[in-house]
Amino acid sequence: MHRLISTLIKEVKLLIVDKTGITVLFVMPVLLVFIMTLIQHEAYKSLSQSGIPVLLVNNDNDSLGLAIENGFKKFGICDLTVDDGTKYRSSDDIKKRIVEGEFLAALVIPKNSTNVLRENVAEMVNVFFDQKSTVIKEPQQVKVEIIIDPTANKSFVMGINSGLKELISSIKTKILFQIMGEKIAQLLESDSKAVLPESDFFVYEEAYAVRDLKKTYQPSAVQHNIPAWAIFSIFFIVLPLGGSIIYERSEGMFIRLRTFPGNYLSILSGKLFVYFLVAIVQFVVIILLGKYVMPLLGLSVLDIGTHWLALTALTMMLSLAAVSYGLLIGTLFNTPQQSAVFGGISILIMSALGGIWVPVNIMPPVMQTISSLSPLNWALTGYYELFIKGGDWYAIQYQVLKLGLFFVFSIVISYRLYKLKTRIN
Amino acid sequence: MKGDCCIRISNLSKKYPGNDSFALKEMNLDIFNGEIFGLLGPNGAGKTTFFSIICGLLQASSGNAEIAGYSISKNLESIKKIIGVVPQDIALYPTLSGRDNLLFIGRMYGLKGKVLKERVQECLSKFGFDKNSDKPVKNYSGGMKRRINLIGGILHEPSILLLDEPIVGMDVQTRTSMMEHLKELNVNKKMTILYTSHYLEQAELFCDRVAIMDQGKILCLGSPLELIRQENGTDLEDVFLKFTGRKIRD
Repeated sequence: MHRLISTLIKEVKLLIVDKTGITVLFVMPVLLVFIMTLIQHEAYKSLSQSGIPVLLVNNDNDSLGLAIENGFKKFGICDLTVDDGTKYRSSDDIKKRIVEGEFLAALVIPKNSTNVLRENVAEMVNVFFDQKSTVIKEPQQVKVEIIIDPTANKSFVMGINSGLKELISSIKTKILFQIMGEKIAQLLESDSKAVLPESDFFVYEEAYAVRDLKKTYQPSAVQHNIPAWAIFSIFFIVLPLGGSIIYERSEGMFIRLRTFPGNYLSILSGKLFVYFLVAIVQFVVIILLGKYVMPLLGLSVLDIGTHWLALTALTMMLSLAAVSYGLLIGTLFNTPQQSAVFGGISILIMSALGGIWVPVNIMPPVMQTISSLSPLNWALTGYYELFIKGGDWYAIQYQVLKLGLFFVFSIVISYRLYKLKTRIN
Repeated sequence: MKGDCCIRISNLSKKYPGNDSFALKEMNLDIFNGEIFGLLGPNGAGKTTFFSIICGLLQASSGNAEIAGYSISKNLESIKKIIGVVPQDIALYPTLSGRDNLLFIGRMYGLKGKVLKERVQECLSKFGFDKNSDKPVKNYSGGMKRRINLIGGILHEPSILLLDEPIVGMDVQTRTSMMEHLKELNVNKKMTILYTSHYLEQAELFCDRVAIMDQGKILCLGSPLELIRQENGTDLEDVFLKFTGRKIRD
């Protein structure tokens, strides 16, 4: 115990005097989480609120044009600028504005669209009711132009397209009912005119499936990004830890450490314990950032759920996994440069596979299978269970177990490597 | 001879894996309590191999080494408690101060609290660190680093002190001062000192006995004066050159 405390004091002193190390361990992770969450928040905002500038050139100024105009305003998926065709006259002019970045997309509704729609529908209804001919003549086409910035997000473009089609289909149905109603009234020689209701027959309700049925969830950049980037930052502890182990092993101090009474591994345990505490502190700092600092910038408050013990167990196991990986890297390589390059790149790969950069569910099936091998994925799944789905210990127990096995595996391999490298025969 | 046998080396051999030649070949040596013993030899003679074996850093291929009656192969832990080791490389954390390095080393040898702090201060004062002890070691001169490195080996007052090339790279004054400190420890604390070196002048002045070794074997053994007289030389350098030859070897 005395030796462990001695090593702890030494490691803490070494950390305190190492300004670069402190920056890498605390300032950089906070900055990373901060920046990534803010960036992602803007992305969330622009898709869910009125962020993306879209131009609607309504040359029609009748039912169809107005339905599209009102519909997009109601959808709220973009920041809509409406022109009645006086300012933006030609497609080329609109394209120029998009290229210059004024708009991300433009919808051009041609003149007399509603009239053409009415004529087409009336033609169909007449053929149907008059029964003189079964041949419906080719309808006149209305060419609605959708002009898009090539850099626009594909899902956003799909959103615009499907919104437009839904609105056109809805107004088409409405006109069909109107004309059919008129035709039927004409046939029945009645003067009464039915007024169609404005609202749709269907109501769509979006709800998120979470384990805690009492809990309502609203997606937010904070809730998704804070745990993801916290995991990423904690795993970067591998760089200073691996470097420190290699430095100590390659310098004269290693001889002294090995000639102290007791086992060198107990000294190493002290080092690992300090870095374990550092990882815990990193996590707490990042969580506090999400709870108290992010809201000051207009972001939502991080909700960490109510299962404290499960959260503690998961965070401790994540920290142990990260520290043991640092030990493995530090034991495997002979120079700090080698460990920094391999450690850094391997964490980037594991994080990409683990769903830190893009969600696992949009990866190809093969990558999704590989993803389930990444310790960062295990941790992220665990935090999403606790922070987003309202899960408890039972929901994360397998993630904790997998992280624990990774810790044991790394320690065992490191020990064997250490024995091999310091073989005294 | 000053006392009972303190370090006994019996038929000690070391052959590194993949090497045809022996780094140490059937070495026999007795070092007695309270003496300062210098193991001298050119580069590649086997001094560091010998030092590493008796510190427990390397395992001998055959033979045995006993320190204070404990066998290196069976009782290494007991040996670690009674020896002090001063490695050839500076074995300190460069970003920590000299004092912090010594506090850590002292704690690892079981020193605690007030006793530890007083012992560190005492050593720092004795070795001329009244002013710079709280500065980072990386800012020290080569001689200062060597002195702190030495204090690290004697802080816990071991009965046996093992030093590997402790004065390498030092100027004459620092070398002499360091050896005087070692002599003082030997006289006042009855510390047995074994050190490896290729500085013959200091060995001649301070060692009770020396052994000259080359190619893994001890070539001659005795007090510096005895050896000089035996070989009709004027100093230990003559004896050294006679036994090891004048040609530079790799």
